[in-house]
Amino acid sequence: MAGLNGSNERLTMLLSSYLDGGLSHSELDEVVSSLEHDEDVVAQFRELKEVRSALRALPMLDLPLFLVPGEHPIEQLSAYLDGELITEELPILSTHLDTCVECRRELAELDRARTAVRALPGVEPPSFLDLHRPKVEDQKRSKRAVIAAMAGVAAVTVAFVVAPFSSSQEPTAVSISDLQARHAAVSSVPSSGTAVQISNAP
Amino acid sequence: MRLPQRSFILAALTALAMGVFPGVSGAGELDDVLADARTSTYSASRLVVSLWGGQTQVSRQFVEHADDMEIVRTDSSWSMTGYGKAVSMGDEPSGIAFLSHQPNVLASRYTVVERGAVRHMSRPGRVVDIMEGDVLRASLLIDKRSGALLIQDLFSSDGSLYRRTTLTDFRAYRTYQAPMDPTEVSAEIVMPEHAYLLPVNVAGYARAGTFAAPGGSEHGYYTDGLFRFSLFILDGNTVVTGLEEPMAFVVESGVYQMVPTAQAVRIHWSNGSNTFVLVGDLPPDHLANVLNELPSPATPNIIARWLKRFFG
Repeated sequence: MAGLNGSNERLTMLLSSYLDGGLSHSELDEVVSSLEHDEDVVAQFRELKEVRSALRALPMLDLPLFLVPGEHPIEQLSAYLDGELITEELPILSTHLDTCVECRRELAELDRARTAVRALPGVEPPSFLDLHRPKVEDQKRSKRAVIAAMAGVAAVTVAFVVAPFSSSQEPTAVSISDLQARHAAVSSVPSSGTAVQISNAP
Repeated sequence: MRLPQRSFILAALTALAMGVFPGVSGAGELDDVLADARTSTYSASRLVVSLWGGQTQVSRQFVEHADDMEIVRTDSSWSMTGYGKAVSMGDEPSGIAFLSHQPNVLASRYTVVERGAVRHMSRPGRVVDIMEGDVLRASLLIDKRSGALLIQDLFSSDGSLYRRTTLTDFRAYRTYQAPMDPTEVSAEIVMPEHAYLLPVNVAGYARAGTFAAPGGSEHGYYTDGLFRFSLFILDGNTVVTGLEEPMAFVVESGVYQMVPTAQAVRIHWSNGSNTFVLVGDLPPDHLANVLNELPSPATPNIIARWLKRFFG
């Protein structure tokens, strides 16, 4: 071996540090010189890079955040009590509750608080207010009817008189350099392990 | 047919095939060549010369390439692309990030032919040709040690060279620190999104991802394993800026506005209800095939032409 004397572990360590950008100037010179002159070092370097890229290409786990160890599904508990959890979430939360004392305690407290709120007595209005209620309601209803009719007339006016003379929508401006940057970025997305074979062009 | 005879014929056919097609390999080999090039580590000056519609486009950049990431420096700014991110530092710093993984699209329509060992810039290298059937699509001079593509020649189906990329001042395994931490630039994160208008396959290109794009439009990323393009389908009312003085690109399906650069071609058209923008590095004949399979540009009727003549 030309540049890297010593054990294989040292070589692996130096190549690994090289990929991390953590070499000193003298170590960098040593590694570059070896890579330029020793095919065994190049082969080992490529192997190391393949392992790293394989690790990077591993599919990302699509676990809900609350299932990450150390996280508690506090926000889900309220939805659980309301029966609003979606089908996939329910068994996950149930499993978590089976093993997490803290969340069971939190759920029990939340349930107690809700029961207490529901048990509060309702406040009835004084009886003299009931005499005026139908009159006030009637006045409100007639006012709403007038406003609705006026709004209808205004909408028809706009549709028949104003619309033909105005553009339907403000034009949106998009920069071509923005679209090109998007293409450059998406072109550099690493490939996953999934292989797709495309058919020949017709 | 008796067994010994059959074996003899099989052996003869195999020998003939090996003699006629030395060093021919398929999609996997191309994938390996491209993967080695993508992950190679070097710094160099990159000269790109492209010929589109009789016009020559030239670009010269100082690039640093390491492990799927590339930094390009100019006098006043720098940009970084890699791992689904594009960060640009200039007068207006900007960043965009695609977080999803794309499928590994194998280029089944290409074969790789080894043309032998060469020396280039006093370095050991090899030349491979990439064939699409009988058509030479690309000729690559590969640095043996680093896997970098020192020269890339790309050809149209009529055999004409339409782009040459050359690396000079090449320093393998040498890169420099990024001039600025890209995390200091706020980036727009783009999520994958369901597409309603984008086709799944176009002229041998497979859709490898669909994303949200500006103004509620759709963005599809397509590749055939070697070339790539993005198709943006925008609302018909969208104005695309930065396409001053476009050239006309005429194919069977109509006339398109084209603005070529050294490294990519940009096509713009409208079919009345939608505006389309295509950005990519595909060869001219592939581009024509792709456009022929997409919605055609609307031909302005006589009243529209008359109005345009008087009112611009």
